[in-house]
Amino acid sequence: MSKYNIWFFSSLTVALIVALPILTVFSSFFLETSNYFSVLKNTFLYDYIFNSFTILFFVLIITFFLGVTAAYFVSFYEFPLSNFFSWALILAFAVPSYIFAFSIIAFFENYGTAFSILTYLFGENNYNPYIPKLDGIFGSVLSISFSLFPYVYVLTRSSFFYQSNNYIEVGQNLGLSEKETLFKIILPSARPAIIAGLALVAMETLSDFGTVAFFNVSTLTTGIYNSWLSFDDLNSANQISFILLVFILVLFSIEIYSRKEAKYHQPGRGFKPIQKIKLNTKRSLLATAFCSIVFFISFIFPVSQMIYWTFKFPKYFQDIDLLNINLNTLYLVILASLILVFVSLVINYGNRISKSKILNYLTNFSISGYAIPGIILAVAFITFFSTLSEVVSNNLNFKLTKDLFIGSIFGLILAYFIRFFSLSFNGIKSSYEKINNSIDESAYLLGYTKVKTFSTIHIPHLKNNIILIIVLISLEIIKELPITMILRPFNFETFATQAYVFASQDLLEAAALPSLFLIGWATIFILFASRYILSNKN
Amino acid sequence: MSKAFLEIRNGNFFASDKNKVTNVNLVVENRGEIVSLLGPSGVGKTTILRTIAGLQKIHSGEIKLNGEIISSDKIHIEPEKRNIALSFQDNSLFPNYKVIDNINFGKKRSNGNSSFKTEEIIKILHIEQILNKYPHQISAGEAQRVSLARSLVSKPNLLLLDEPFSNIDQNLKEEIQYSVKRLIKKFNLTTIIVTHDSYEAFSLADKCGVILNQELKQFDVPYNVHHEPNSIEVAKFLNKGVFIDVKVVNSDCAVHSLRHKELGEIRGKLLGNFPSGANVKLLLQPEDLIHDDQSKLKLEVVDRKFRGTNFVYTLKTEKGEQIPVFVHSHHIHQHERSEKFGIKTPIFIDHLVCF
Repeated sequence: MSKYNIWFFSSLTVALIVALPILTVFSSFFLETSNYFSVLKNTFLYDYIFNSFTILFFVLIITFFLGVTAAYFVSFYEFPLSNFFSWALILAFAVPSYIFAFSIIAFFENYGTAFSILTYLFGENNYNPYIPKLDGIFGSVLSISFSLFPYVYVLTRSSFFYQSNNYIEVGQNLGLSEKETLFKIILPSARPAIIAGLALVAMETLSDFGTVAFFNVSTLTTGIYNSWLSFDDLNSANQISFILLVFILVLFSIEIYSRKEAKYHQPGRGFKPIQKIKLNTKRSLLATAFCSIVFFISFIFPVSQMIYWTFKFPKYFQDIDLLNINLNTLYLVILASLILVFVSLVINYGNRISKSKILNYLTNFSISGYAIPGIILAVAFITFFSTLSEVVSNNLNFKLTKDLFIGSIFGLILAYFIRFFSLSFNGIKSSYEKINNSIDESAYLLGYTKVKTFSTIHIPHLKNNIILIIVLISLEIIKELPITMILRPFNFETFATQAYVFASQDLLEAAALPSLFLIGWATIFILFASRYILSNKN
Repeated sequence: MSKAFLEIRNGNFFASDKNKVTNVNLVVENRGEIVSLLGPSGVGKTTILRTIAGLQKIHSGEIKLNGEIISSDKIHIEPEKRNIALSFQDNSLFPNYKVIDNINFGKKRSNGNSSFKTEEIIKILHIEQILNKYPHQISAGEAQRVSLARSLVSKPNLLLLDEPFSNIDQNLKEEIQYSVKRLIKKFNLTTIIVTHDSYEAFSLADKCGVILNQELKQFDVPYNVHHEPNSIEVAKFLNKGVFIDVKVVNSDCAVHSLRHKELGEIRGKLLGNFPSGANVKLLLQPEDLIHDDQSKLKLEVVDRKFRGTNFVYTLKTEKGEQIPVFVHSHHIHQHERSEKFGIKTPIFIDHLVCF
């Protein structure tokens, strides 16, 4: 088979498309800086960096504590509701941090929900001075931590699950106490998984736009947005993007490295599942209380707040075009996930049958899209296609390039493709790698052609995983805010954009209904996906 | 001249720098013959099988099946068009199909015209109980048997088996080996078996090839490979004896004789041409010397191993040579270490293999 065949060109095309934002951002770094960027450099830029990293620091501490502690309890101990918590704690993924932020403000603001509860319980009084105001950096840290800790929880829990009981028994045999076993055996061997989880949290935290924008905290992401929207300075936006991207790519490398390390902790022959220990009353109370509090704050609290407001202000049922938003969301989800899965299947299959190293490098490069924050991607996307549009209209007299890519469904889907290709590609790849090469060879020897092997052997094997990938892509798209908000067609709303638009106009009560729908859809997707995430086979 | 069923001419097989076999010449004259390829792990046996199956291209040389070139520098028939079945050493069952469906995949190749009765194959391979299970629900040994069944029902022109019995329990192995051989012979199915187990290679095959140091060192009937290895390397690989220094005393008569300083005269049929008076190395296998308590020829026991049907005594000559000797385990009089062990004289060995 020639080196430069159809598989090579397919992979090259995907790699180039996914590399667009990175190439745009990196090339902009070498362009001349505008006055605005010079001013920014001497004034707010350090504030942006300082705020971003302050939030990151505290989020990492909190998510580490919440994720690892919860994973430890549900993996090693039996206590009331432990089985329930093992999957219920993942539901926090259904609440994007910006919606958690709406709930915090709604609850703690003057005359907010907390005020109503106190009035109901203790009669009328001015409680406002006694209710803490959780906003700014503090509010951002809380919102982001409670919505992102499941990354650490899921990866740590899965690492704990694969820790063979043999190690723990050997530890006990060598005279280690329970505490020593935790710190000397369990945690060190889960370290790569914990670091991978924290790296994901860090990437998401630095990429967060909705929460910090809502709390009016100046960070690198809001800096990018403001440079573009308020100062109409795409070049400065890209230069801030460059700074953010450097940090993110470092974290991305840490995440990839840690995942590779985590593979060494997968079970081999002689794997013995962990025997859960039944806790005594006092300790089981502590474990149940901890998990209940985390579950309550991360999921029940924002959901209740949104339900409360939705029914307190029923007029928005009429004001918001729910059917249209549902259809818009469904439309994006189906279109994007089908395209992503189809392309991922083709590229994975090409890699498999051509066994080319160049193809492998190309596809490895393609998955970097996952590391790019939505806001950077959206701004870079606009930069690239504005420039392309200028070039095309000057040289070819074709004026529709910009309209084709910016503010169109096509452009939006293309941006989702760049952002979520790695999720789709890697998801299918991990399942594909479980099909031994000798299985393909057996099929050929039994007279099956390559195409027939793909349709008869590969597809039935990948079926479940394809469904899971579609669900995960759907979950990401439904929660996605900056790309959708910036690149969507005029007046095209999803639950995320509708909720954010209302919230940014200080109409929090109106944001409740779309937020609730968003959480509802996301919960359904998560419950579906958790069957796979928590199953022993995956 | 009738054409050979399978012919490999000047075949160079290449998987990597370490894993390659060069200049292979091998002919399977008749349909229905069983050939075993024997050699240590990683020597390139599987590479040869994969190349014959068409999963890899031949580096140089050619392979002919039924007189038609299937692999050469210029020709490469795709694996799906060769009608050659390969049963892999590792699990190659289709994971999302039940065992019975996996076996039926083989049937599709033979278009249902297989004269091989699927039920008979299933019964012989003892897999009746697992037909409705999925591959991940069965053991490695069972998976190997299912893979074998799938290959058999596909009614191939040529059957290639890569370590087909390596994962099967010892108590079942011999029975299955015997049944599979019977089946292959019954259906006149030409088969090449790759193995690193010499007992398996000798008991199953009509002809046996030994691959060592990237070359096919010997290709002969199993009896000859065992008793008349054509090189020190083959003899050492088979690990069935030791070499001792002897002098050729008489190489002209019908019964030849050699002399060893301590063991004295050793008689038998000398293989190869060595002049009288030549110093040579004689292959001494454990079954060659016979224990005799009454004998005056005695050597010191340095080790004794119980091997079920036999004891293997290791005896030491004054020169320090260590010689293994089989003694039936029912033999009442046992010898401890450092004791003297009698050997029947004069020593007579059917084939005197010397180098």
